Amino acid sequence: MGYDTPTVILRGIARYTVVPSDPPENVDSRMSPIVSTTLGEPPFFLYCNHCRWDSAEVGITFEKPTGLAAQLQKFEDSAPESLEFERLKEHFEPFLRASSSSTALPSASSHHVHTNPITAAASSALARDIPGVGKYNPLSRSRIGREKAAHRQEYPDYKSRVEVGNAAALSGEVDVEFLTHLETVDEVASLEQRWTNSWVSPLRSSDLKPLRIPLQSKKSKRCPSCRHILIKPEQKAQSTRFKIKLVAANYLPAIAVTLPHAQAALEMMKRSTAKSASAAAAAEEQQAAGALIAGHSYSFHLAFTNPLYDPIQIRLAKAVASPAQMTDDAEAAERARRSTFQIQLPTAAFPVGAFAEAWEYDDEDEDMFLDDDGMELVDARGKKGKDGRGKARSVGIVEKRANVTIMSGEVLIPKEARGDIRFNMLVSYTYRSDDPEPSEEAEMGTPSRSHGANKGPEMKNFSFYTVVDLGSIMYREEPRLSADL
Amino acid sequence: MPAIRDKFTIHSKAVVCQDVELKGDITIGAGTIVHPKATIFAIAGPIVVGSGCIVEEGAIIVNRRKEVMRIGDDNLFEIGCRVESPTVGNCNTICTRARVHHTLRISSYCVIGAGVLVVPTEDEMLDDYTTIYGPSAERRIWSGRGKVQEMDLRRKHAEYLREMLPKFNRLRRGDGA
Repeated sequence: MGYDTPTVILRGIARYTVVPSDPPENVDSRMSPIVSTTLGEPPFFLYCNHCRWDSAEVGITFEKPTGLAAQLQKFEDSAPESLEFERLKEHFEPFLRASSSSTALPSASSHHVHTNPITAAASSALARDIPGVGKYNPLSRSRIGREKAAHRQEYPDYKSRVEVGNAAALSGEVDVEFLTHLETVDEVASLEQRWTNSWVSPLRSSDLKPLRIPLQSKKSKRCPSCRHILIKPEQKAQSTRFKIKLVAANYLPAIAVTLPHAQAALEMMKRSTAKSASAAAAAEEQQAAGALIAGHSYSFHLAFTNPLYDPIQIRLAKAVASPAQMTDDAEAAERARRSTFQIQLPTAAFPVGAFAEAWEYDDEDEDMFLDDDGMELVDARGKKGKDGRGKARSVGIVEKRANVTIMSGEVLIPKEARGDIRFNMLVSYTYRSDDPEPSEEAEMGTPSRSHGANKGPEMKNFSFYTVVDLGSIMYREEPRLSADL
Repeated sequence: MPAIRDKFTIHSKAVVCQDVELKGDITIGAGTIVHPKATIFAIAGPIVVGSGCIVEEGAIIVNRRKEVMRIGDDNLFEIGCRVESPTVGNCNTICTRARVHHTLRISSYCVIGAGVLVVPTEDEMLDDYTTIYGPSAERRIWSGRGKVQEMDLRRKHAEYLREMLPKFNRLRRGDGA
């Protein structure tokens, strides 16, 4: 309900709920019928579901479950700082009124009438005489200065509510007492729990108060070139929906990366061990099975999902950004080439079907393997492709189903390569939209005119860069087979 | 290893579904509900479950010690949890996917948070009202405020299940031994 729990502050997710207290204890509560009062009984307090902390431990309770801010206002008003401020205001009020009335007389035309004692205090402080600085006087000259000097001598001394010099809290004695009698470290509030406040908070973790969640703003976004609204959240603070939500992801093909050898190993593991010994060991094996080991080559699958209602043709390209091109030293370049991984991507354009409802799709099950590159697909060990189907090609379309097309590429990892396998990929796609073009579009540029009919279907081209991350290269020492002879 | 002799004593008011894996000497008290796909393995020693407990799907209760594993009343074992603790008191909640080692003994009104792995290095007995939460299994003592409402809710939960589960699942009856 707008409060962060102090004990679980780092999680950030934990929010308090306002809960009622238990109904009064019944002697034979075990056998009593189930009491169902939806509203609950006062006093209400804040409760954390995660750690079961409740605000009654710090003394914050509410009479009713709504309007918490108003109920808390009473607490805030009785804090020592606000009481001190009130006293200060009362003390200075007669002088402020006197000084503001005197300054108001000669220059009423240019000054505001200060009804608020705070603003009156601020403006009189600003207008005060500063030695060495010439006085700025928009209207009259030294008449105001003389009057101010006269008034200043009449301020009596102010006595604060609490004798600040002897306050135990300020001198730190309370904290020292507390720390000398500590039993566990948990009694002290941690730094992370305390330093988000701009005021000094008590050291005891039992004294931590729930934090109010700071206000956040909702932003709407516009296109930088045509100023069309792209994202517009709803006005209501509690709702997370959007009035206008034009997200690029709804128009771009979604790409999912998988490593087929990792999944195959996982399947085998699942089949062999019906009941895994422990979850931790299983997770480790899973990681090891999916590892990318230096000196091998692996194929990876990219699944493209087309969100549009028209079929699209996608073309992939490697975005080149290799630092090896910079070096003049041939040997360094050679070494760099040997130690970075090589990616082979299918270069021909491949189609991805249009998005339609599930029942509209024909039952397609094409497994076409296109020989795109004609490259050598033999890895360092001399084995053919990893999918074990007996097909030599492993770069091309793996599967084409509904609006998803899975393409496979190869990554060759030389023995000296280290680091993450991450490469930039340029995805360009084109589709023919069947909607008739509005007449304004045809006037925009010559390409549309050269295509012929203004109202005919248009070929739309889009391209974007993306980063494909296959994982980190693991280096495993191969056991050396020693020759006995 | 002696063969595990199955001996199930299920109270007539308990609701134990057919698809539950039971092994060994198991006693289930009145009003307890065991959801389908739960697992109760009394491998080395017997397990005695009290009344009003709810054991949800995927929960695993294992006793690998020779001594009797006693589970009290009104406990809730949420989905996917794993409990090997030799003593469990009353009105506890073992949340989803929590795992409790056999060195820990649970008293009453405790809450083991979701996903928490509690593995003390030596035998330990939790105080009443302990809450264990967070990925590093931090502990706190609950003030106990709201426990009447929680027990109310648990009883309502159990009552609802007692009514609904038999309508959609076959029940397993005790051996009558």
